[in-house]
Formats: sequence, C-alpha cells, structure tokens
Amino acid sequence: MHIEKIINPLLSLVLAPLLFGIINRTKALFAGRTGQPLLQSYYDLWKLFRKGAVYSKTTSWVFRLGPIVGLSVVIAATALVPSGGLPAIIAFDGDVILFAYLFGLMRFFTVLTALDTGSSFEGMGASREVMFSALTEPAFLVGLAAISKQTHSLSLTGMLAVADTALWSHIGPVQLLVAFSVFIVFLAENSRMPVDDPNTHLELTMIHEVMVLDNSGADLGFITYAAAIKMWLLSTVLVGILVPHNGNAWIDISTAVAAVFILAVLVGVVESSMARLKLLHVPQILLIANALSILALILVLR
Amino acid sequence: MSFMTNLVDTVIILFILTNFMLLGSSSLRRCIRVIALQGILLGILAILMENGTPTIHLILLSAAIICLKGIIFPFLLIRTLRDLNVQHEVEPFVGYGTSLVLSPLVLVVCIWLGSQLSLPMGVTSSLVAPVAFFTITCGLFLIVSRKKALTQVLGYLVLENGIYVFGASIATIQPVLVELGILLDAFVAVFVMGIAIYHINREFEHTDVDRLNRLKG
Amino acid sequence: MNSGILLWIILLLPVVGSGICQILRSPKNVMNFVCFGMALIGILEVVTAGVVFSRNTIFSCGEWFYMDALSAYHLIVMALVFCMSSLYGMRYFDKEIHEGIFTLKLAKRYGTLWFASLAAMTLILVSNNLGMMWVGMETTTLVTAFLICTRASKASLEGMWKYLIVCSVGIAFAFMGTLFIAAATYKFQGSISGNGVLWTQLKIHAGLLDPKLAQIGFLFIFVGYGTKAGLSPMHTWLPDAHSQAPSPVSAVFSGFMLNAALYCIMRYTSLIKLVPGNENLSRNLFLIFGTLSIAIAAAFILSQHDLKRLLAYSSVEHIGIITIGMAMGPLGTFAALFHTLNQSICKSLGFFCAGRLGQIYGSYDMRVMTGALRLSPLWGGGLLGSLLALIGIAPFALFMSELLIVKAAIATNLIWVLVVFLLGSCIIFAAVLKHVISVVYGTPPVLDFKPRCSSIVDTGIVVFSLGVLLVLGLWMPNSLNEILCRAANIIEGIDVATTVCVK
Repeated sequence: MHIEKIINPLLSLVLAPLLFGIINRTKALFAGRTGQPLLQSYYDLWKLFRKGAVYSKTTSWVFRLGPIVGLSVVIAATALVPSGGLPAIIAFDGDVILFAYLFGLMRFFTVLTALDTGSSFEGMGASREVMFSALTEPAFLVGLAAISKQTHSLSLTGMLAVADTALWSHIGPVQLLVAFSVFIVFLAENSRMPVDDPNTHLELTMIHEVMVLDNSGADLGFITYAAAIKMWLLSTVLVGILVPHNGNAWIDISTAVAAVFILAVLVGVVESSMARLKLLHVPQILLIANALSILALILVLR
Repeated sequence: MSFMTNLVDTVIILFILTNFMLLGSSSLRRCIRVIALQGILLGILAILMENGTPTIHLILLSAAIICLKGIIFPFLLIRTLRDLNVQHEVEPFVGYGTSLVLSPLVLVVCIWLGSQLSLPMGVTSSLVAPVAFFTITCGLFLIVSRKKALTQVLGYLVLENGIYVFGASIATIQPVLVELGILLDAFVAVFVMGIAIYHINREFEHTDVDRLNRLKG
Repeated sequence: MNSGILLWIILLLPVVGSGICQILRSPKNVMNFVCFGMALIGILEVVTAGVVFSRNTIFSCGEWFYMDALSAYHLIVMALVFCMSSLYGMRYFDKEIHEGIFTLKLAKRYGTLWFASLAAMTLILVSNNLGMMWVGMETTTLVTAFLICTRASKASLEGMWKYLIVCSVGIAFAFMGTLFIAAATYKFQGSISGNGVLWTQLKIHAGLLDPKLAQIGFLFIFVGYGTKAGLSPMHTWLPDAHSQAPSPVSAVFSGFMLNAALYCIMRYTSLIKLVPGNENLSRNLFLIFGTLSIAIAAAFILSQHDLKRLLAYSSVEHIGIITIGMAMGPLGTFAALFHTLNQSICKSLGFFCAGRLGQIYGSYDMRVMTGALRLSPLWGGGLLGSLLALIGIAPFALFMSELLIVKAAIATNLIWVLVVFLLGSCIIFAAVLKHVISVVYGTPPVLDFKPRCSSIVDTGIVVFSLGVLLVLGLWMPNSLNEILCRAANIIEGIDVATTVCVK
C-alpha cells in the first residue's frame, strides 16, 4: 500500500519542528520556568516565511542557493529512512552512505554560504563545523557498519526496521555501544550541548549559530526547518537501532514516534545538566565516539 | 548462547571501556575511580569464570579482590593525591586523542594474538585472553607514556589487573593461598610506591618523572 | 629429627630479626644486632646446606619447601655475602651515626628491611612452588627499594623510583610466564591435584608440557627475571640503584640479588630443556642476552666517572658472562656456577672498598679520588685487588672460571660468542685498569680530616675475600668440585661429572 510508504516522510515533515519545542520545554522545566509553548517553532517558521530577506552586498548567488539546497537535500533524505517497521520509499544496498553524504552536501552548502558573506566571523564557525564533522562522519559510518554486519543488510531499511527482542538478547552490548556513539554524533551534528550551545550568541562560543548569522527571512526559515528535519531523521536512526518492533504497523509507528519524543526529552535533560565543553575537548569526545564505534565493529567481526 | 556467556561478555566489554577511559582522561582523580571500577569488575569476573558452582575459597578470593582493588587501593591513591596537591596529568608523550584512536587498533592486534594461542579454555568466552593482553598493553602504555609518577603507579595496577584476568582465563590450579600472596604483594607494592611518591614530592617538589634525569650514563 | 624443620628455621629467623630491630634503642645497637644476628643465621644456613648435601634433598611443608644441591649452593653464597656485608655495615655507618645523619629511625628501618630482604631471598631459595618463588622475588623488590634511599637525596630517590618501576614491570612479566607454564600443564594437571605448580612435579612430567605454551612462558620468565638479574637491555635500573644505595646494600644487590634472579631462571631452564621441541630455546636466549650484556657493559664502562657505577656495569658484564656460560653445555654450566661464587665475593669486596673510600674522599667521582693507596692502605689495596680480580687477572678465581668458560665455548663451537666475550673483556680490562691506576696511585689530595685507622674487622674482611679468591684460583677443593657438579646436574639434567674435567 502506498500510504505505508509515505507515512514516514509525512510524519517527519510535519512533526519535526515539534522536537525543538519539546527540547526547549524540557530545558525550561529544569530551569524552573514555564517556557515557550510546544508549538513555538511552528509560529516562528510561519513568521519567517512571511518576512522579506535582506541580502548583503558582498554575497553572491551561492548565498541565495545555500538554504534552498539544504532544505531540498534533507527532504530527499527523508525518503531513505525507515521507521516503525515500515520500509523507506527508496531503499538499495549502500543507501546508508548516500544518507550520510546527503547531510554532508547540506553541510557543504551551509559552509559555502557562511564563507560567501566574506565575514571572518562566519569563517571561524565554518572551520570549526568542518573539523567536527570530520570526526563525526567516521563514527557514524563505522557504527552503522557494525549494525549492518549484524543484521546482514547493506541498506538502512534492512538495518533499522528489524530490531527485535531476540536480536537484542543476542548482541545487546554492541547495540548499546553503537547507540551511545550515534548519540554523541547526534549531539554534535545537531549543534546541541555539550558540543555547541544553540542559545549563545557570543563570539567565541558559537559554532552553528554563527554560520547562519547573516541569513534572514525565508532563507532563515528554510534553514531552521531543515535543521529540524535533520534532527528528526537522526533521531529516527538512533531509535531504529535500539527499539524492537513487533509486527503490527500502527503500534510500531506510534512506538517510534513516541521514542523520538522521548529522545528529545533526553536531549533536553543532557543540555540542562552539562555545560559546553572547552573547544579543545570537543574533539576528544568525538574521538571517544569513534573508539566506541570501532569497538562495536571489532566485537561484531570477531 | 547462554545467559552466562552474555554476562561474561558484558563484563568484559565494560572492562575494555574502562581501559579506554584510562587512556583518554587527563584527570588523575577520574583515573583512580576508573581503576576502582576495574577492580570491582575483576572480582566479578573471577566468580563468573569458574565452571560450575564456585567454592567458598573462590568467593572469599573474589571478595578480597573487590575489597583491595576496588576500595583500599583507590583510597590509598587518593590520599597520596591529596598530599601531592596535583589534579591533572601534564600533556603526555602520546596525546590523549591519539591514544584513544590507537586503542581499538591495539585491541584488534590482541584479538589476533589471542586466536593464535591455543589456550586450554575452561572459560565461557573467547574474548577473555585478548582483553587480558589488551589490559596489559594499556598498563605498559600508561607507564611508558605518562609523565606523572602517580600515573605510573596506576599503569602498574592496570598491568596487574590484566595479568590477573589472564590468569583467570586459563584453567590454572593455583591454590588460593598463592593468589592471596599475589594480592598481598600488589597491596604492598602500591603502598610502597605511594610512600615513595610522597618522598619524591617532598624532595623535588614535583612528581614529573620526566624531570627525574640526573642519573645518566 | 625431621630435617624439614631447618627450612622453617632459616625462613622464620630473619623475620624475627626484623621484628627485633624495631625495638632497639640506638643506631649502634641496631647495626651490631644486624651483624650478630646475621652471623647466627649464616651459621644455620651453612648447616642447612651441609644437611642438604649429605641427604641430597630436603622436603618440607607438604612439598612446598624443597632444597637440593642447587639451592643449597646458592644458600651458601647468600650466607657469605650477607655475613660479610653485615660485618662491614657495623663499621660503615659509624661516621654518619657520629654526625647524627643516621638517626635511630633510619637505623631501625635499615635493620628491619635488611632482615626482611634476607627472609625474602631465603623464600626464593626454599620454594618448590613456582608461584611462591615469584612472591619471594617480588617481595625482594619492594623491600629493598627503601634500602636504596636510606639517605634521602634527589639522586637516590630517582634511583629508587626507577628501580621500583622497572623491576615491578619485569616481575609482572615473570608472573605472566609462570601463568603460561602453569597453563602448559593441562595434560597432567590431574595428578598435581590442586597443589600448585611444584617444580619437582614439573621436572618429572616435563615431557608432557605443551610445547608452545611452555615456550612462550619461558620467554616471559626469561625477560621478567632477567630484568631483575640485570641482563641487557633490561639493566637500566642497575647502575642507578647500585650507585645510590649505601655500600652494604649495593654489595647485597650485586652479590646475591642478581644471582637469585638467575637462580630462578636456572630452575626454569632445567624444565624447558626437557620439553620436546624446545631444547635449544634456553641456549639461544642465553647467548643473545649474555653477549648483549657484555657488549653494553663494555661500552658504558669506557666512559664512566663514578666508581660505584663502574662496579655496577661490571656486574652487568659478569651476569652476562654467567649467562653465556650456562649456554655452553655441562662444562659451561659448571663454570658459570663457579663464577657466581667468585663474582659475589669479589664484587662485594669492591663495593666495600668503594664505600669506605667514598666516605674518606667525600665523593665517588674517580677524577677526584687519587692516591687511595697512600691515604688508606687497606681499602686502597682492597680496591686494587678486587678490581684486578674483576677484570680477570690470574691467578684470581675469576680468571679460572672465565678460562673454563672459554674452554667450554671452544668445546661447543661457539666461536663468535667467544670473540665477543674476549673483545668485551679486553675493552673492560683496559678501561678499568686505567681507572684503577688513577684512583689507587698518585698523590692523594689534602683532606680536612684524617681517616681513622682500620680495625681488625675491616682488615679481616679484605684479607679474607682476597685470600679466598686467590686460593680458589689456584686450587679447587674436592668438596666444592662435587657441589658444583651436583648443582650443574640439576640444571643440565645429565650427569655432569663425567664430562667435566677440572684440574
């Protein structure tokens, strides 16, 4: 049935901004405030899409192209990710690499727009971002390689839609190691604490925020929306590694969505309890993720 | 496989993770706590390795290991740390990032080595011997590449842990008395080293072994 | 009477002695007690050795204690070295006691650790259980560490730390080796029935040991105990520890502790020779590490300025000589064992003289020490004699044992090894002779205090040592011959006496 195939992308497109709301609400609860409404991100996006954009004179067509490419690439990536036991729209051997590099393409264009403004401020953010991603990509790919070896499948659909309780008891430790490693990657890629503070606007501490400093209006809306979808997709992958499924499609989908929300709460908790790491220590934590992934791979291969 | 295999596997993986943490962390206090955890895991492993029901001797030995390595050694070391008034390791010869990335590769080599040796396996997991070699290598690495005297003592403790895991993995018939003698030696060794570090600190006002280089030739 | 009780006595008496040291009242008392207590224990040890020789072997404590000719021989060497050092130590610390540097607390610590190290070394010699032997070895490291820094100074602390870490790692390796050897017994472990790895049992069943595991085990054992023995390239702790420790302690280190480590290696050698496929393993390892030790010692002696470090490197050289001797068949093993006795006596004497001269001159730098013979005829003469003996001048005993090793090398066709040995010996000969002449002859510097006259005891020590070396060089008593033959028998596994021809 076709509806089964598009329900995942549909959910991700519709529910993604809700994640930001959940995270912010959790942080507010920890701080003792009431916090923003859960649907605040939707209101923000609606406001941004109706605004006009201001472009600096030093920018070129790349600056206008970047956010559009970013959003379209991420929407394309939603076609690759399975969730809740249902297969993805497009699935073929090795699509996990395409998945990782679609994000890479998005990052590339974000960095290009940042450099295009000619401001050293954004250049600094761009260089930090690229350095961290150089460390997160291996961790992510090696971790998924371990899962792929276990599940004997080279496609995301095969890897993530098949976690079940029998597999869990068989190789539980490996799943946990990969999940932990992918969690660290998740925090890094989505610019969450302890890697990056999404609320800061101080010169020396921004990484992701600084790259989009010059974007405004609809462009900023595209970028924010794309970031939300990216977070949703990575959560789905993480949840797919851990959560077992039991056959009934509706239960599985609702379990998956609920798990993604719980993950968002967890991220909120982590953000509230940890301070941002010193910049020199961030590569260390990313190397820990790498080591864990490699360890998981070793354990599977022996 | 049975529940036992999974349990042994989990403990062993935790053991490997403690080694990673030791190689990657610069805070001496955290290293000591990790070694305490390693000692406790060692005690648990000692009981799990035994085929069949554990004898009363084995339970006592395991309790002794947990007590000594998990509680008493870290206590002694933290006291020495307090006397020294030092919190962090200085930048070692091989950086933390490099050691973190190298360690899984070393683990691969150890797994290969473990497969080469046809040890009489009385145990429930094939990971035990490689992890023993890996721990020994980590211990040696800590002794050689770190600059503080206290880290060298920690490296020695990790070395002893690794050798102990190895001893538990081969079906030896060392009587409990000798095991206790070995534990006692480790205890006295740590004690002696702690006192030595205290004296060194008093005389030199630092404990960087890198700077202990008057005797040459 | 059950002769096994003797083993308990020689093990427990030093422990009692170390306890008594804690309750004495003045440093002088402690040193005197060390001397007399040691004399008593020494006599008992010689008696025990005699009983062992007459009865061939002694067992005790349900086969955990065991002595045979090899351990009894080493027991005699230990008794000799410890007694001489204790006697010497009685006078050595006089100056420091007088100046108040050697306080009661230090003296008590010294005495306790001295007896404790004796107990640990005795444990090594009486153990049949290989695990217990290891425990004894580890204990010697820990106990002697603080003997090194009796006088706390930057250099001595550094030496102690290096000694502690390097030897602890080495001993840990030796433990790995012990575990491997224990693992290799799986084919017959039923008959051992939970009694641990007993050397006597292993000797009987050696043919049944798993070859690969035994091979790896022996490798670890060799590297591990070899660190403690001072074989290159694991000798790095030796010069620092020996040069910083007080002279009686250095004498015990060189005189017996290195030999104890070699003794452990010897025990395992006798086992590995019987394992199928590994007969040449020990020989190859001995040759490689032995020649390396001699070469490195020769290289470092050339550029030495410190007298005690010179003696330390000389120890490395002699350990190398003993090791290559053990690789050369029955005659070589005989010569190597003989060499251990000679080296112990001679090196102890060397350290005694160096210690006293260092006290007189105030430093061990050989560029500062000149005219020792004029300043103190006894100790200068003793230094001259001991250094000459160490480099192998006839007719001292070291020359004889080295000659035997040369003979054995030719007999077993190890020409290259012989070349390296002779070359190294020549270099050391020239270097040491140059140093000796500059230290002993010449005009002494003007000192601010007059060295006191040597006492009877000191004279006795020097004369006795040199005399023994001279006598053994000229004449091998039959009893010693037989003792050495029986000890070599145990290592080689074959009857040595028929193949060894001694004048």
